[in-house]
Amino acid sequence: MQYEIEVNGHPRQVVVHRVDGGFVVAVDGREWSIDAARINTQTLSLLMKVTPAGPDRPAPIASHEVTLAPDAKTGGLAVHVGGVRVPVSLNGRRQWGRADEAAAGAAGPERLIAPMPGKIVRVLVKTGEAVSARQPVVVIEAMKMENELKASQAGTVAEIHARDGQSVEAGALLVVIHR
Amino acid sequence: MKKILIANRGEIAVRVIRACREMDISPVAVFSECDRTALHVRLADEAYPIGPSAPRESYLRIDRLIEVARRSGADAVHPGYGFLAENEEFASAVQSAGLTYIGPSPEAIALMGSKTAARNAAARAGVPIVPGNDAPVPPEASDVEIEQIAAAVGYPLLVKAVAGGGGKGMRTITAPAELRDGVRAARSEAGAAFGDSAIYIERRLTRPRHIEVQLLGDRFGTVLPFVERECSIQRRHQKVVEETPSPVVTPELRSRITSAAAAVARGVGYENAGTIEFLLDEDGRFYFLEMNTRLQVEHPITEMVTGVDLVRAQIRIARGERLDLDPARVLQASGHAVECRIYAEDPDNHFLPSPGRILQMRAPSGPGIRDDSSATAGLEVPIFYDPMISKLVAWAEDRPSALARMRRALDEYIVTGIRTTLPFFRWLFIQPDFLAGRFHTTYLDDVLRERNGRPFVDVPPSAEEVAAAAAALQALMSPGSGSTHTAEPDVDQPQRRWRSQARTEALN
Repeated sequence: MQYEIEVNGHPRQVVVHRVDGGFVVAVDGREWSIDAARINTQTLSLLMKVTPAGPDRPAPIASHEVTLAPDAKTGGLAVHVGGVRVPVSLNGRRQWGRADEAAAGAAGPERLIAPMPGKIVRVLVKTGEAVSARQPVVVIEAMKMENELKASQAGTVAEIHARDGQSVEAGALLVVIHR
Repeated sequence: MKKILIANRGEIAVRVIRACREMDISPVAVFSECDRTALHVRLADEAYPIGPSAPRESYLRIDRLIEVARRSGADAVHPGYGFLAENEEFASAVQSAGLTYIGPSPEAIALMGSKTAARNAAARAGVPIVPGNDAPVPPEASDVEIEQIAAAVGYPLLVKAVAGGGGKGMRTITAPAELRDGVRAARSEAGAAFGDSAIYIERRLTRPRHIEVQLLGDRFGTVLPFVERECSIQRRHQKVVEETPSPVVTPELRSRITSAAAAVARGVGYENAGTIEFLLDEDGRFYFLEMNTRLQVEHPITEMVTGVDLVRAQIRIARGERLDLDPARVLQASGHAVECRIYAEDPDNHFLPSPGRILQMRAPSGPGIRDDSSATAGLEVPIFYDPMISKLVAWAEDRPSALARMRRALDEYIVTGIRTTLPFFRWLFIQPDFLAGRFHTTYLDDVLRERNGRPFVDVPPSAEEVAAAAAALQALMSPGSGSTHTAEPDVDQPQRRWRSQARTEALN
């Protein structure tokens, strides 16, 4: 089986073969023999040994506990390897499309959306106002904390869809900034 | 005392339930709409709904809490921390209903709850206070009058809410030109947060440390101070890491600062658990900051180094028992303890809250580890309350061993489904200044500003390879089969498989 998997932003070619007692997995040509045990629907215990072993000594068997959970924010997977969180998405056409959109987004207007449901405390800018990179644009209150949403790059405020005191859902469009 | 109503939620409600169980007291829980499935409800003997999710309509409703106390036949009420824990009206209402309030008297809460009255109480006890004006700034004061008060205090200064706490209603002013806007902002924030827009002005110390002293007082006039806690690691005035003892407090300073704390509490006839907070300047001088008339979030680290169960002590004091602890023993830390407040926040996105459903959770354990939490797999982290999901505590015989133990525990902690501040703590616990104990209350804000949003975790190539292999195997091995030898997978549609699995999880 062959998979195209985007791992932490890097495309990887993964080829998997079943063998007696486990799998042989090649990631970009580097090959492991893997004993994979499922702990629950989202947890795998992997015992991984580089193959073929070196000439002088047998390869060590590395143990990795891996959890794979759907990530609502990205639509992909959040894969935890030990304490390290690795964003992963399967590189179907849809994912490449996303990357294209992201590239287009970098040049187009910035759409500031509510990252969580909450209450708009203050809109700090006016339509037509110039903003600098990292300038606070909207203050939103959720979970007892006031959080500043900032412009990622310099630009001009084109649209404002939020007003002081308004309750908003996660994902609501608040401000559009033209670069 | 046979039955205690716990007027709170989250990990502190669970903490109090545990103390009740150990004392053969029946715990009664209350819950808002979104907390129906919360752990404190599941662990209690009885549980009563008290209204919608917004705190104002449930956990802050004194009338409903008293009604539940009556209906359940509870004979005492524990307020926890936050919500109504420092509200003299609530303490009075509990007492008027003929119940025992597990905490200080309403009079002590009212007195120490006013920052200006508390400063005066400290001064009366002969304890140094941060230079400042000792009366609230009158609401009708003109700009010129405010400028005169500020000039007398001296710059840089802090405008603070009289009813304040948690950094709300507070502004740093470095020059007279910032004064007008700062006062206005502090007043409006204080009014919104505390229903009281009164403010006062005090000097801002440069690079102070936050040192606090836990106290227990009984109704016979005994007040015992405990070995100090160091709480200088703060983000936006919120404590993030606490430890005890402080890496910079000498036995001589400990003796002076704990005696000062006890003097303030004795001066106001304080009963039950409380904490006096001090600022320690670079020259080793300390100043009274405020008193918290309740159990603190960070109380477990004191428990770890003294062996005293503070919640049990609170209950025993409330039922009229005499403090029988050895004063010398509670001033002496046995080993070192450190606590991380782990939040449902995304440290790589400006620490914005990350509410949602926890899919998997496995807390660390083993030698010297304590995890005070109310989060479990399957639970939503609600948007209505403080998003703390765990207080992770490590104890060991000395500070370096305790920090090493915490690093080990942080690496063991697994939480999926939401973002947490675990990666931030893994980063913090290898910073040389932190490890050396070289920090002050703005240390963390300063280093975070310098980092400018840089991610806390660098994903090593080896982890990427393991993740790639795991993702492929996950797609191949059909979920829930419990075996590596499964039917041939749907080769063309692994993405769909993931999505359908996500749906299955969401239903579970």
